Amino acid sequence: MSCYNAISPDFPDSNYTALMFRKLLTLLLLLFSLSGSLQALASDSPLVAVASGMQFAMREIADSFHQDTGIELRLTLGASGKLFRQIENNAPFELFIAADDSLVQKLEQLQHVRAPGVVIARGRLAVFAAQGSPLQVDAELRGLASALDANQVTKFAIANPAHAPYGQRAREALQAAGLWTRIKDRLVIGENVAQATQFAISGAAQGGIIAHSMLMSDKTSNRGQYALLPESWHQPILHSMVLLENSDEATMKFFHYLQSAKAQQTLSRYGFTPAL
Amino acid sequence: MDWGAFNLSLQLAFYTVLLLMPIAMLTARWLVIQPARRKAIIEALLTIPLILPPTVMGFFLLVSMNDTHALGKIWRSLFDESLVFSFEGLLLASIIVNIPFAIQPALRAFEGISSDMREAAATCGMSRWRTFRRIEFPLAWSGILTGGVLTFAHTLGEFGVVLMVGGNIPGETRTISIAIYDQVQSFDNASAGLMAGVLLAISVFAISITFLLTRKPLIRIRA
Amino acid sequence: MAEPGPLTRGIEVAIRLDNPVSLDVEFKVSDKELVALVGPSGGGKSTILRAIGGFEKPTAGKISVGAQQWFDGQQKLFVQPRHRRVGMVFQSYALFPHLSALENVLEAISERPKKADRIELANEYLARVNLKGLGKRRPDQMSGGQQQRVAVARALAREPDVLLLDEPFSAVDKVTRIRLQRELVDLRSDLSIPIILVTHDIEEAARLADRIAVLHEGRILQMATHEVLSKSPVNTDVARLVGIRNIFSSRVARIDNEQHSLELQWGNSLLEMPYRNGLAIGQTVTWCIPSDGIVVHRRNRPSRGEHENPVFGTVNEVFHFGQTTELTIEVDDPDAHPLHCSVPTHVAERNEIGVGADLGVSLKADMIHIMDSADAS
Repeated sequence: MSCYNAISPDFPDSNYTALMFRKLLTLLLLLFSLSGSLQALASDSPLVAVASGMQFAMREIADSFHQDTGIELRLTLGASGKLFRQIENNAPFELFIAADDSLVQKLEQLQHVRAPGVVIARGRLAVFAAQGSPLQVDAELRGLASALDANQVTKFAIANPAHAPYGQRAREALQAAGLWTRIKDRLVIGENVAQATQFAISGAAQGGIIAHSMLMSDKTSNRGQYALLPESWHQPILHSMVLLENSDEATMKFFHYLQSAKAQQTLSRYGFTPAL
Repeated sequence: MDWGAFNLSLQLAFYTVLLLMPIAMLTARWLVIQPARRKAIIEALLTIPLILPPTVMGFFLLVSMNDTHALGKIWRSLFDESLVFSFEGLLLASIIVNIPFAIQPALRAFEGISSDMREAAATCGMSRWRTFRRIEFPLAWSGILTGGVLTFAHTLGEFGVVLMVGGNIPGETRTISIAIYDQVQSFDNASAGLMAGVLLAISVFAISITFLLTRKPLIRIRA
Repeated sequence: MAEPGPLTRGIEVAIRLDNPVSLDVEFKVSDKELVALVGPSGGGKSTILRAIGGFEKPTAGKISVGAQQWFDGQQKLFVQPRHRRVGMVFQSYALFPHLSALENVLEAISERPKKADRIELANEYLARVNLKGLGKRRPDQMSGGQQQRVAVARALAREPDVLLLDEPFSAVDKVTRIRLQRELVDLRSDLSIPIILVTHDIEEAARLADRIAVLHEGRILQMATHEVLSKSPVNTDVARLVGIRNIFSSRVARIDNEQHSLELQWGNSLLEMPYRNGLAIGQTVTWCIPSDGIVVHRRNRPSRGEHENPVFGTVNEVFHFGQTTELTIEVDDPDAHPLHCSVPTHVAERNEIGVGADLGVSLKADMIHIMDSADAS
C-alpha cells in the first residue's frame, strides 16, 4: 500500500533533474548571446512597407542605398491592401511603397502622411505557365481560353483581389478577355502577388496572371513561359510611395534616393516603366 | 539565416515562460482545491486558447489591443506607443495563447499530490506558503517544468497569432516562423529550409527534454 | 527530548456530522489515557479523527482540549488544522516522499530558532522511536515499520496536545505489528496527552487501550474497558463487534428473590444465573455468553460433581486454529441455537472431539449477561 507515483527526485539539490535544468539554462543563454551578437539590424533603422510585387527591385535598390550611404533598411513585404490597413492601425512603418496609387491618396486624406506621395513606376501584368504546363501563353489569352474549354486548366493563380492591387488588375484583365465567369471557380488565390507567383511557378496551378516584375529575378526567370497582357485591359498599375508620419531623416534620404536616376534604372531592369 | 528573427523568437519564448510560469503555477495550485464544478468550468475556460484557431485568437487580440480599445488605450497612455505591432503586444498575445500549455501539466501534477500531503503538512503546523514551497512545489516540479518547456517550444513555433498581431516588423515582431514564411515568398528556399531545420531541431530537443525529465520512478514502499 | 508536557486535562469531543458520514458522538479522553475507536469500516472512526484534526467540519458541537476550544458550532468557532497542536499518524503515514526521515520530523519542529538545535531535537525523536542513525534515509528507502516510526516521531515532534493514530499498524506484517505495539506502549510512559487510536481489530484495541469506544453507523454504542464490553455488552451489536457469538433469546422462567437468582428457559434447559432487577416472569430477554464462559466436559469420564448449567449436544463443526480448536455444538433441542466455544487443541485431541461426537458443556452462571433490558447500563 501507499504507492506514491509521479514524484520527482529531491529538488533542487544535486541530482538528475537539476543537472538537466542547469544544462538547459546554459544552452539557452549561449543561444541568446550567439544570436544577439549576430543580430545585424538596429531596431531604429528605417522601416519600409513594400508591395510584394516590388520585392526584387526594392531589395537591390536598398542594397545599393546601403552601399552608398551606410544606412540599412528594414523591409516588410506584403499585399498593398494589407499593409495599408496596418498603417491605418498605426503600424510603425515610415515609408509605404504601394502598387496602387489610390491607397496612397487615401492615406493622404486620412492624414497619416508627412508629405504628398510620388508615383515612381508603372507595372505590367503577365500571364505565366510553368515548364511542363499544358497552358499555352499569349497576349490575347487565347491559349487560356482553349485550355479552359479542354479542361486542361483546373487551377489558375492570381493574387487576392481583396487585398492586392495585382489581384484586382488580374480580375479586370480576365473580365476584359471575357474569361472571368468561366475561370473564377478555378482560381487559386495567393495572399499577395508573390504567393500567387509561387503557385504558378511550382506547378501547383497550371498557370497564373501575376506581376511582370516577379518574373525578372534570376530566382524566377527561366521557370516557364510568359506573355505581357495589354495595358488597356486593366487600370494602370501605378506604384506610388509616401512618407508616413513617423518617418525620419534617414527615411527621407531613401525617399529621395528612389527618385534618382540610378534607382529608376534598376526599376526598369525589373520590368517597371519608370514614372519619373 | 535570419539571426535577428531567431533571437527575437528566443526572447519571446523566454519572456513568455518567465512571466507565465509563476501565474500558471499559482493558478494551478489554487484550482486544485476548488469545488469540482467550479474547477471544471475554469479549466474549460483556460483551455479555450488551445482549441480556438490562432487566427480567431489573433483577431480578438488585435481588436482589443487596438488604440481605440481598452488595452491599447491604456498602453498608449502609459508608453505613448502602439501595443499592436510591438514586441510587448506580441508578448501579451503569446502569454494568453500559451495559458493552456503552461497550466495543464502543472495542474495535473498538483492533482497528483494526494490531499494526505497537505493535511500532514497542516498537522506539522506548516503555513500555507511553506507547504507550497517545501512540499507541493517539489512534488509538482516535473509537471511545472513540462509546462515551461511546452510553452517555450510552442512560442517558438507560434505563427497565426504573431502574423495577425505582430505585423512582421523586422527586429520587433518578425519571429523565426514569420521569417520562414517571408523567405518562402521571396523564393529563398535555402534560407527558409535552414531556419525550419533549426526550429525543428529545437522542438525535438524540447520534447526530448520533457520526456527525459518526467520519467517518473514509481516509488514502492516495502510493507 | 521534551519533558512530558503539562497536563491538558484531556480532550472533549461532542460533534454531529452529515458528510461524509452521518455521525453523532460524544466522549472524553483524559490525559495519559488511550482510547480505541473500534467498529466496522465506514462507521465514521476515521472521520472522528479527521474532525478532531480539523479536516472535517462538523455541523454542530464542540471540540475542546483542556482550556482550548478548537471547534464550537454555536459560536461559529473553527480553528484551522495548522493552528491545532495535533499529532496525527495517518493510515498511509503521509510522509513527505522527497524528504529524508530527519527532514520529515524537522517540519514539525518550530520552537527552536537555531537550526542546529532543531536538528538535534529531531534526531532525539528519531532515536526515541528506535530509528537512530536512519535520519538520512528517504521513505522509499525504508521498510513499512520504519516508515510508521517516522510518522510517529513526526507526530510527537509537534509536541501535540492530543495524539491521533489512524490504523497505524494495519499496513505491516504481524511480527512488525507486535513490535510497533510494544513500542507504543513504551512511548506512552513519556507522554501525558490523551491518545486516540482507530482500529478495526478488537484484539489490538484490547491490548493497547484503556477504554474502547464501539462505533456503529456513526454512533458510540458503548465505551468501556474491554473486560466490561465482553462481560456486559449493552446490546447485540456491541456483543457481535466484541466477538461474542453466543447470543440467544429466552424467556424468564423463574425468579427467586431469596436466593438472588433467576432462571432462563433455553430450549429444554433451565439456565441459572445471578439475580437482576427489572425482570418479570415470562419476559423474553436477549442474553449472551462469551466463549470463555463455556466449559467443556471431559468425555467418557465419570462426571465429577455438579456442573453449572449443564447442556448436552453434538459437535457440528471443528476448526483447528493451531493451538486452539473452535467448536460449534448443536444442542439436543429443537429450539436451541448452536453454541460456540473453544478448547486447547490437545484437549480436543485427547477427548477425541470430532464432528458428530456428543459433548457436554457447562455455561458459567456469572458469565451469562442479559442485554436490551430496561436498566441495562
